[in-house]
Order: sequence, then C-alpha cells, then structure tokens
Amino acid sequence: MNIKEYISSGILEAYVFGDLSLEEMRDLEAKLKVYPELKEELAKIEAVSEQLLLKASITPRTSVKTSLFEKIESEKEVPVIPLRQESMTWRYAAAASIVFGLFSSFLAYTYWSRWQESQSNLTQLLAQNQRIAQDYSTVQNRLEEIETEVRITTNPDFERVVMKGTPNAPQSIASVYWNARTKEVYLSIQNMKALSKENQYQLWAIIDGKPVDCGVFDSTLAGLLKMKDAALFPTTFAVTIEPRGGKSSPSLETMQVAGNVAKV
Amino acid sequence: MDYLYDHYSGAIYGAVLRILRTEEIAEEVLQDVFLKVWDKIEQYDASKGRLFTWMIQIARNLAIDKSRSKETSKSKKTDDIDFLVGRIDRQENMEMEVDAIGLKEVLQKLSVEQQFIVSHLYLKGYTQSEVAEEFNIPLGTVKTRLRLAMNELRSLLAIE
Repeated sequence: MNIKEYISSGILEAYVFGDLSLEEMRDLEAKLKVYPELKEELAKIEAVSEQLLLKASITPRTSVKTSLFEKIESEKEVPVIPLRQESMTWRYAAAASIVFGLFSSFLAYTYWSRWQESQSNLTQLLAQNQRIAQDYSTVQNRLEEIETEVRITTNPDFERVVMKGTPNAPQSIASVYWNARTKEVYLSIQNMKALSKENQYQLWAIIDGKPVDCGVFDSTLAGLLKMKDAALFPTTFAVTIEPRGGKSSPSLETMQVAGNVAKV
Repeated sequence: MDYLYDHYSGAIYGAVLRILRTEEIAEEVLQDVFLKVWDKIEQYDASKGRLFTWMIQIARNLAIDKSRSKETSKSKKTDDIDFLVGRIDRQENMEMEVDAIGLKEVLQKLSVEQQFIVSHLYLKGYTQSEVAEEFNIPLGTVKTRLRLAMNELRSLLAIE
C-alpha cells in the first residue's frame, strides 16, 4: 500500500482529532504498528494538534477538580478488583474451614468410637485378667492342698483311720490321718450326708474311754482338713452331729461314723 | 493524575465545552473523561499515539455522545467567532488569554480556506463531517485542507 497517499488523505489528522469511526481507528492503529513512517508523521501531527488544543484551553472551575478527585478517592477506597479478590479469598477460607470442620468432626467421631471400643475391650480384658488370676489362685490353692494331701497320705508317720458308717448312716465314710509323733490330725470325707445350716459335724478322739473334741467340719469339705491335735494316744475316732460350733461333750446318739486306731 | 489534570484539563475542557456549549454539562463530561482515563489507564497503548491523543479521543467521543443525547443540534453552533475569546475574557487566567490570542494570530497566517477549517474544528467544536455537511464542502476536501493547514502550522508553531 502507498503510505504517502494514505498520509496525504488527511486520515491521521482526523485520528488525532478523534474524528474517526471505531473501525477506521482500529485499521489505522494496526497500520501504525507496521509502518514506522506513519508513526513518525503521526507524532508531528499530534504535536501540532496538542499545541492548538492547549492554546485553545479553557480553564474549568476549581470545583470540578475538587469533586473529580473526591470521586477518584472514593473509587480508590472501594477498589473493585481487590474487593473481589478479598471476597474470593474469604470464600475459599470459609470453604476450607467448613471442609476442615467436617473433617475434624469425622476424625473426632472416629477416634471417639475407637476410644469407646478400646475402653470396653480394656474393661473386658481387665475382667478376664481378674478371672484368670482368681482361677490361678484357686488352682494354686488347690494344688497346695493336693500337695499337702499327697505329703500326708504318703507319709509313713501318718496312720490312716477309716471311720465307717454307724447304723445312723450306714453309707457314710470318712478318714482320719493321725501322726503319733507330732499329734497332728487331718480329716477327709469320702461320703457324708448334707446337713442343715444349723448343724455341723464334730470329730472326737476317744482317749482312755473319754471323748476329746477334735474340731468341727461341714459336709461340703473337700480334701484334707487339719483338725485339732490329739494330745494323747486315742483308741477311736468318731463323728457326731452337733449344733453349729460344736459342743464340749458329744451327743453319742447322733454318731455317724467311727473307726479304731490300729496300733493301739 | 494531578499532573495530568493540571496539564490537560484546560485543553480537554475547551474541546468538550465547544461541542456541548453548556458549562454544567461540559464539566460533567470533563470529570467523566478523567475518571475513564483513571480507570482505563492500563489500556493506553503508546504505539497508538500520545497519551493526550488518547485522552482527546475519549473526550470527544463522550462529548459527542452527550450532545446527541441532549439533542444539541448543530444549528445551535453559532458562527460566533468570539465565543472562545468571550469565555476567556471572563477568566482571570492571563496566560490562557495570551495563548488564545496567540493562537488567533497564528491562524491568521494560514490561507482563508485553511483558517476556516482549523477554526471550525479546533475552536468551534465541529467534526470533520459536520463541517462538510454544513458548508457543502466534500469531506475529502475538508481532510486535505486540514492536512495542509497542519503542515503549515508545524513551522508556524516551531515544531520539528
């Protein structure tokens, strides 16, 4: 295209004066970027035009400037873009805190239920532990009893005296282990009738024809029970039914079992 | 912005007032021009010309839009050559007055045809097409006459 012709059409003057349509302006602005001589010519026309317009200046009233700068100040105070950014920031912050809140609640609930579960598991375990400990101690006690029983029943110093049922209780049977040297007396039940709560069995040692108290026991006795020592040489051991706690002299008519000491 | 206003508000106000002829409306448009410049300053592209060119383009657009909406008809534009000077006489700013008078002197050195075009465009607020229509001059002729006048003015205003 012929730039000189384009320039001499006076289009630049119209442009500088703001007398071109939007399309013409766009077209010219595109050409300005391509043709440096066009730009050069434009600069000269602009200088003239600016001079003319500056010389034709009319000073506006000072109130115009005042109110204009008030408007600009108020625009500055409420800047549109930063406000949007801020509100977006707040939105993101709000969304983030909601998400965080939900997540925290979820975690709290999860850990609370796990804690509850652990708590109940722990309680169960503690109970179980206690039961096992009890069981152990029971077993331990029983084991000690059995050891004692074994020690006594296998000890040749102990003489076993089997007490058989009298006509009062023909099915009953019990045994006494008696140590002549230490005077110790142990009792074991093989079969004895159950008694009412008010009554207990009482063991007697017959020494020189006289009954001597060797202590009371219940029908539920399991294993060996250490009784009172029998001081002198007894000839017979016998069991009577007496009121709970026993008596000083036996009710011979209630005699259940009796047995003689072999050695004497 | 303060500098821009102090430097260019007179030139822009002059251009706007010559189109609108009413001070209140012209003041309003002047404010709108500077508010637009303030808001859109990042859209200014130096490759498209001077900042002042961009500002005057905005100003004339706003003023012409306003004059159309106010139904300010062309007929209201009088041939009162002294409109500008009359307005300036009421001003206390001596410098402006001297400049305006200086301008008239400069314009008198142009040919009558060129003087006519320049004073109608720059001092009376006409657009090129308004001059063409109103005075029955082909638009192309208006443009070339203006171009010749502007070329003359380069040396008269000692630009280059």
